[in-house]
Amino acid sequence: MQIVIIGNGVAGMNAALTVRERHADWSITLISEESDHFFSRTALMWIFSGQLSHRDTEPLERDVYERLNFRRVRGRAVGMDTAAKRVQMGGELEDVSYDRLLIACGSRPRPAPFWQGYGDLTGVGHFVTHQDLAWYEREVHGGPSLAGGPPNADAHLSSSTADSPYQPRPAAAEARGHKAREVAVIGGGLIGIEAVEVAHAAGLKPHFLIREEWFWPMALSKQESTWIAARMAEHGVQMHLETEVEGFDSVDGLVSGVRTSKGTVAADAVVVAIGVVPNTAWLADSDLELDKGGAIVVDAGLRTSVPDVYAAGDCASVKWFNGIQRPEQLWYTGRDQGKRVGRALCGDEVTYKRGTFYNSAKLFDIEWTQAGLVGFDLEDEDELYFEESGTVRSTVRIVSQRGQVKGFNLLGRRWNHAVLVRWINERRSPAYVLAHLAEATFDTEFVPALSVPADVRAQA
Amino acid sequence: MYAQGQDGLMSTYRSAWRTRSPRTYALSALIIGLYCALYFTDVFEPIAQALHLRNKWFLYGTVYSILMIGGGLYFLKAHGNSRYHKIRIAVNVAIQVVLGLSLPYAMAFFGHPDYYFSYFWPLKYDYLMPGTLNYLPWYLALYSVVGAFIIVPFGALFFGKRWYCSWVCGCGALANTFGDPWRHMTSTSTESWRFEKVSIYAVLVFILVATAMMFGDWFGGNQIGWFHETAEWTKYIYGFLVGSILSGVIGTGVYPILGPRIWCRNFCPMAAILGITQKAGRFRIAVKPDMCISCGNCSTYCEMGIDVRAYAQQNETFTRSSCVGCGMCAHVCPRGVLKLENAWDENTDKANAGQLTIEF
Ligand SMILES: Cc1cc2nc3c(=O)[nH]c(=O)nc-3n(C[C@H](O)[C@H](O)[C@H](O)COP(=O)(O)OP(=O)(O)OC[C@H]3O[C@@H](n4cnc5c(N)ncnc54)[C@H](O)[C@@H]3O)c2cc1C
Ligand code: SF4
Ligand code: SF4
Repeated sequence: MQIVIIGNGVAGMNAALTVRERHADWSITLISEESDHFFSRTALMWIFSGQLSHRDTEPLERDVYERLNFRRVRGRAVGMDTAAKRVQMGGELEDVSYDRLLIACGSRPRPAPFWQGYGDLTGVGHFVTHQDLAWYEREVHGGPSLAGGPPNADAHLSSSTADSPYQPRPAAAEARGHKAREVAVIGGGLIGIEAVEVAHAAGLKPHFLIREEWFWPMALSKQESTWIAARMAEHGVQMHLETEVEGFDSVDGLVSGVRTSKGTVAADAVVVAIGVVPNTAWLADSDLELDKGGAIVVDAGLRTSVPDVYAAGDCASVKWFNGIQRPEQLWYTGRDQGKRVGRALCGDEVTYKRGTFYNSAKLFDIEWTQAGLVGFDLEDEDELYFEESGTVRSTVRIVSQRGQVKGFNLLGRRWNHAVLVRWINERRSPAYVLAHLAEATFDTEFVPALSVPADVRAQA
Repeated sequence: MYAQGQDGLMSTYRSAWRTRSPRTYALSALIIGLYCALYFTDVFEPIAQALHLRNKWFLYGTVYSILMIGGGLYFLKAHGNSRYHKIRIAVNVAIQVVLGLSLPYAMAFFGHPDYYFSYFWPLKYDYLMPGTLNYLPWYLALYSVVGAFIIVPFGALFFGKRWYCSWVCGCGALANTFGDPWRHMTSTSTESWRFEKVSIYAVLVFILVATAMMFGDWFGGNQIGWFHETAEWTKYIYGFLVGSILSGVIGTGVYPILGPRIWCRNFCPMAAILGITQKAGRFRIAVKPDMCISCGNCSTYCEMGIDVRAYAQQNETFTRSSCVGCGMCAHVCPRGVLKLENAWDENTDKANAGQLTIEF
């Protein structure tokens, strides 16, 4: 049996491990353009600052390919011949034949309309791939940390194509002769705030250009976001809210500023972080069914529209808990889909179905946890909100509907989301949840316990 | 305001002082040289005398305390926003400055034997040797015995190994203060773990044998020439190899290139005993299910080379005998996945995890 997996990210690698556990003798090929090793994409920011080395972000030992007998093809897949069951490779690489194929090719940065028509403008980039990281490191730090870059960084180039997100990007800093002094980050989401934080950690006072009225309205209320914004401002981040980017200024092909609806912001390095889209441009001519956004449509068994071809991770369009069909672009969902699709590759009937949504992040030094339905404007929605200040500063927002708790949005403390999800699934009342709320905290020792103010309890 | 979690990003690998570089190798060689001079020559005696210290060991204690306090301030600057770290480091340094330096000095000054209340057998192996017990005043002898057989194991049973290794011990205090800049140098490789498993119990067996022989010697063995000689020789080798070379020269000397806990992880017999009791006790690191992003901060900054990420990825709450409970994994985790706790009750995370991922 020939198993071929495109992508050695969290989805692809977990699928490969699952298959190998069951079948010691099956041939497993991992095709990967970006890197030799499976790494944690979520950790790019720490590599940038120097907190982690590339090796530190790789969850498996580097000999795993030899040890588990995975064949590695380092290069770009450029198309598929589904009738002949073959993956076409770029450059001189031979096509790869499969019996069962998994596509786990992840996301790529969302292309920005305001960046079109600038030709070879240098100094503008993204923060999603290893190659983006290397570019941004060169702009701000002059290069990677003393731990170095990833091994064989350029091994894919001979098979790569110009439109690949894994193309290295020249840095304006090199042409200009000095490192970036003014950095601008466009796009107020999680990747944006990470790009801002790393520039701040490098000693800069980055500009943060956000189209919306406040930072990250998808996840935070205005009130909550105000705290994050104040914290960023304390650190010297220059926030530009309700600012629409229109284009760039440049000198000799090197970016010199960002033109916006509110004037020009001087910048010698610009990170465009307006989201990610499925990395499926190379599948445009194939007979796989893609959704509106370009994600590969899969059924509950993670099967695509073509027999023996599966998809998982960021590039797969799955049915969400609320019935909507779109990709889940999260680490733990990628891991779970990978494990499950691994069993499908073994021939099992599997069903993938996600439970109540949750996520967490760290926004500068403020920890954020969300569970359930927050920001969905439910019919008859109620909201409880309170803040703590003192040794611990935190905010708690509980969304409920007709006496049943539906969601939590929490800043400042650590929370065991598993308990919060259980309460949602048990349809607990706001009064019950408030009475037990401290049990769901997951703070480190000696952090004072949460106490719910009396007036909030009375309100419930 | 921000009582937990790493505050700001670290720039560890962007400093040549914190990566394997000519600089850190030179620093390592310097420390090893100083330790050799201290243990095997008397070059520090005149300096001690010039400073009106009784002998070179008091000079060593003074330098040790200065490094610990300076390193402690560095540590607090880097991680002091966390309440766990603030309290822990303050207690550990205070105990060392009082019990490890000032009190013995004062006792010596008043003509007492200089006794270190913060050390127990087998770390201070002569505290349970019959010769020492006989020579100490009865209350100190009693403290030595109670310390080794009751305080140490029961402390670990209730609070984990950390009560000693990260809150009291002098080796631990130096590792977590002066040694903190190099904690990421500890190897996480499978080979380093294989080595540790063998070496730490080998030293434990060594000290058990040496102690038993000293008792045998005391209770009549010294009448038999060859036995007496072997016992003395065993004690001497232990003192030289483990007491000086492994704990001092190597243990501290390789901080800048192999991390600050080489001694604690691979050789300390006290750590071996504490680790065994910790496994049977309440202490554990709770893992919040399905929230880990596999970033590797925990494994990188674990000074004992434990692959914490591997447990976190598998939603597995765990207790490892080598874990000294420094709390750094939980501190640097950007998703708040880990939590150090003392609890007897069954962990419920597995049950909770079942609700997150719909099984098939
Ligand atoms: C900066 C950043 C921070 C993030 N932080 C978080 C977070 O905190 N929490 C969270 O849940 N999620 C986070 N995410 C999202 C998370 O990283 C992704 O959901 C996850 O990595 C997706 O994994 P995957 O296996 O689907 O794809 P990927 O990790 O993208 O892997 C896809 C792989 O496929 C290969 N590939 C792609 N196209 C081709 C081709 N044509 N030919 C050959 N090989 C190809 C490449 O080698 C690539 O490595 C973050 C993402 C970014 C960019
Ligand atoms: S596992 Fe965590 S608490 Fe234990 S030694 Fe490692 S970093 Fe410290
Ligand atoms: S437990 Fe935390 S620090 Fe460790 S890998 Fe997971 S997210 Fe990172």
